[in-house]
Amino acid sequence: MNPSLFQIIALCGLAVLVVVTVLGTVRGSIGRRDAVLWLSIWIAAGVAIAWPKLTAKIARLLGIGRGTDLVLYCAVVIMLVGFLMVYARLRQLRRELTLVVRHVAIENAFRAKPPTAPSEPNTTVAATPDPPRNG
Amino acid sequence: MGTELPAEARAQVFVVMAAYNEAACLEAVVGEVRALYPHVVVVDDGSSDDTFAAACRSASYALRHAVNRGQGAALQTGIDFALREGAGFIVTFDADGQHRVEDISGLVEPILTGECDITLGSRFLGGHVDMPRLRRLVLRGAVLFTRMVSQVRLTDAHNGFRGFSRRAAARVNITLDRMAHASELIDQIRHSGFPYREVPVQIRYTEYSLAKGQSARGAFRIVFDYLMRRLVE
Repeated sequence: MNPSLFQIIALCGLAVLVVVTVLGTVRGSIGRRDAVLWLSIWIAAGVAIAWPKLTAKIARLLGIGRGTDLVLYCAVVIMLVGFLMVYARLRQLRRELTLVVRHVAIENAFRAKPPTAPSEPNTTVAATPDPPRNG
Repeated sequence: MGTELPAEARAQVFVVMAAYNEAACLEAVVGEVRALYPHVVVVDDGSSDDTFAAACRSASYALRHAVNRGQGAALQTGIDFALREGAGFIVTFDADGQHRVEDISGLVEPILTGECDITLGSRFLGGHVDMPRLRRLVLRGAVLFTRMVSQVRLTDAHNGFRGFSRRAAARVNITLDRMAHASELIDQIRHSGFPYREVPVQIRYTEYSLAKGQSARGAFRIVFDYLMRRLVE
């Protein structure tokens, strides 16, 4: 059977991605574990595009009408899980940022000259140096 | 209520305020509090105006968040600091002038006498309240929401006016940075087992404090933040 135009373009694109991933791994900019994950995604996509009947077969086995539907469902689930993981990580980062900001704020606390007599609050004002601005 | 606390008790009270872009009225509010309570801690939450300078001029202690982290985060910073400075009681007070200095003693007294460890200001306990209808509706919703998710019966769930004994404040750990901390705090109060009670306070609804206050849209964000914490963590 003759490959369609879409198959040719997509497979070429995937081949480029595989090469980029392998090069990145060799150079060390992509971790081993990430590389395995990405490569398996590219290869799975390549298999599904090269042999579309394969996904259709699996889909029918699971009682899903079409192969593309199967791929779509999987993609949605994977993206949702990915979103939740990224969101959890974002929360953790925000939390850590707050702790750092809090620590800096407490360490650099500005104190008015004690004890402050209520009758002469203006002396305190005069003695106040320019507050440090770190924003 | 309304009776003034003895000076030695007042000297142990740390009034903590979180301020975000409150330069316009911060000095007046802090000055009013400081006339009676010597320890006023202002946490400037990364304001883009001159809030920090105003805090340094008026407060006993001025802290600055280098970047904005939200009211919950700022209050926790102030509480941590107050505990380090040896606070006996901690009162959280809104920087926009909606709380009354006269009500602080009402919040501290039950803790001072050992009746409870935590007091929560309630604007609905003290009889008549003058507030816009939408605001009232949103606050009623907050009370219902709290009853549902935290199983705590309060008349006013999101009032920033609260009093803590030292040991109760040490137990509190606000992790929700933004406004949802109010719901989180109620959860923690329930779990801590410390006795708490609501105390009637009056809220001054000025044009300024209304503009700075929570909008109805903010309420949805609170619910989202709070529920996501329960889901993700």
